[in-house]
Amino acid sequence: MSYLIDLATKNLFRNKLRSFISILAIALSVALVVFVKGLVGAFIDNMYSLHIQYQAGDIKIIDQEYQKKERLLSLNYPVDGFNGGGIKAMEGELKRIKGIKRVIPRIKFGAAISTEDEMIRMMGWGVEASKELEFTNIKDKLVEGRMVRRGQREVVMGADLLKKIGLKVGDKTTILYQTSFASFKGSTFKIVGKIKSGLKLLDEELFYLPLDQAQKILEMPDMATDLLLETDNYRDLEGVLAKVEQLFKDKSADQRYSIIPWDKGYSMIGMLKVGEKIYNGIYIFLVILGAFVVINTMIMIVKERTKEVGMMTALGVKSKEILSMFIIEGIIMGMVGSFLGVIVGALITKLTAITGIIDYSKAMKGVSGNILMNPIIRPEVDLSNLLYAFILGVVVTAITAIIPARKAAKLDPTEALRSN
Amino acid sequence: MSLLKLQGVKKIYQQGRVEVEALRGIDLEIEAGEFTSIGGPSGSGKTTLLNMIGCLHRPTIGQIIFDGDEIEKLPKEELAMLRRHNLGFIFQDYNLIPVLTVYENVELALRLLGDVEKKEIKERVVNILKSVGLGDYINRKPNELSGGQKQRVSIARALVKEPKLVLADEPTANLDSKTSEDVLEVMLEMNQKLTTTFIFSTHDPQVMEYAKRLLTLKDGKIIEDRKNS
Ligand SMILES: Nc1ncnc2c1ncn2[C@@H]1O[C@H](COP(=O)(O)OP(=O)(O)OP(=O)(O)O)[C@@H](O)[C@H]1O
Ligand SMILES: [Mg+2]
Repeated sequence: MSYLIDLATKNLFRNKLRSFISILAIALSVALVVFVKGLVGAFIDNMYSLHIQYQAGDIKIIDQEYQKKERLLSLNYPVDGFNGGGIKAMEGELKRIKGIKRVIPRIKFGAAISTEDEMIRMMGWGVEASKELEFTNIKDKLVEGRMVRRGQREVVMGADLLKKIGLKVGDKTTILYQTSFASFKGSTFKIVGKIKSGLKLLDEELFYLPLDQAQKILEMPDMATDLLLETDNYRDLEGVLAKVEQLFKDKSADQRYSIIPWDKGYSMIGMLKVGEKIYNGIYIFLVILGAFVVINTMIMIVKERTKEVGMMTALGVKSKEILSMFIIEGIIMGMVGSFLGVIVGALITKLTAITGIIDYSKAMKGVSGNILMNPIIRPEVDLSNLLYAFILGVVVTAITAIIPARKAAKLDPTEALRSN
Repeated sequence: MSLLKLQGVKKIYQQGRVEVEALRGIDLEIEAGEFTSIGGPSGSGKTTLLNMIGCLHRPTIGQIIFDGDEIEKLPKEELAMLRRHNLGFIFQDYNLIPVLTVYENVELALRLLGDVEKKEIKERVVNILKSVGLGDYINRKPNELSGGQKQRVSIARALVKEPKLVLADEPTANLDSKTSEDVLEVMLEMNQKLTTTFIFSTHDPQVMEYAKRLLTLKDGKIIEDRKNS
């Protein structure tokens, strides 16, 4: 076997330019895979993580009726614990499940502010600020002031919303809303912070207030509209999900509440998941394109060395050893090419990440707040991506090398020896 | 027992619809240590016969017994092993691997055997190259050698594993007559020194004269078989 590897390695130097071009082709396609995968990965992870932070949690618990008309922000179907026992108690039960890190209650409600010439419609989010600061990236988006504090009549608003209502941090404003008993009310809040995130939802549509204040003004003691669960790993939910479902069954609350994992029932996420699969196909396709150059090279090599194959057969080399020799030659090209490709790909990706070159800001103008997408994508250089691209490069070249190598192994030795 | 025995060997090539009978019944016995030439006009079947003996072809009909084995009955893998250990080939156009040095080209035959130690490989390769007169060319590449030198490398490659039989199909056809004689001298010397059996084909009467036994083929049959004194 060792002489086969020796020989295959030396053979690469027969036609250096041709070997170089083949290696380059593999390197380019692998580099492209590294870059695109980093980019797509960052893009998708970004969307997933925003979706989880601001919409779905890893798992979301809502009333089944509320789920049917979530957009209406109705306060008639809140989460109020097991048998009306309140969300505090429910949180306690949930946190006893292994794998659940945090339980995050939110009250979402419709609200408005009247300015001189119009009513500005908004969405209020009553939150436990300390949990939001840890669970979401809101801290990085606070460009002025601070997050709301428990027990205080204060709000945090997006920069665009503040502009619309013509107020700034430090000002007071009266917010109009409807309580859970459908009576219209107004309350005055102090604006303590300003958010600028690039997300329409945060910048323009919502304001934060402390959960206890929301519960008080809306007359929803110990209730929330959404209960989000943060788990140890959102990519591996099954076990936790089953336990949560079991708990709800035990409490006979499974008919009342929906338990929704982050990746179910959201059309956007479904599409992204399909997209991920398509991209996996595209990576393979990219490498196959690169491997075509290798096949081409290998076909030429086999043709040129037909006579040599005859000679080697006469020397007693078995046909499966001939097969191995050519495949090894392909694999060496695949390994060298993939290795270079991974390095180049990682460098390009790193560079793009530093400059944050991919900026969707323009494209994002006018996109609805329902689509949570960060306008600046920074692709990631991630070791598993590099390994994936390397292995893909080697495996695809090895497989494609089989075709010409088999041709060589099947040559009739006497014919081969007569050829020129 | 003879080293090689052919009985009623026929080879029919199928060329489209036409059948070409390249060998029409060969009976032949070769003893160990022979130095035998095969002559005859072009198309008479010399190459076909050598390929048959070299286990690169199977006879259409007939029996070939090499060193006690009925080779037409052996599977492909075993034929490869038989060639690897017991047969050496010398080709008209040398068939050296251009990316390997003289040393490495010869070494390949030994490395294939698998069970020879590195040190022994080196010793044997250097020795055989010295004895074919290439002691000073060990690290050259084939393209830096003359035709005669290349053929000596090829002889060394065939002999380094000390096979029972060496087959050479027109080993001197690409060489001038002086070089041809040199090459034959080397082959003869090896035949005497190592008692290796040689069978070679040639058109060249001068080369033929080196043989101790001369076979002549015509139309796929042996028409003459004589000793050379
Ligand atoms: N692969 C093949 N397919 C069909 N016919 C073949 C094949 N190989 C050889 N022949 C035919 O068999 C006959 C013997 O050929 P062979 O090559 O053995 O002759 P040769 O004595 O070696 O000739 P030369 O001196 O020209 O080398 C010829 O008629 C040739 O055309
Ligand atoms: Mg011939």
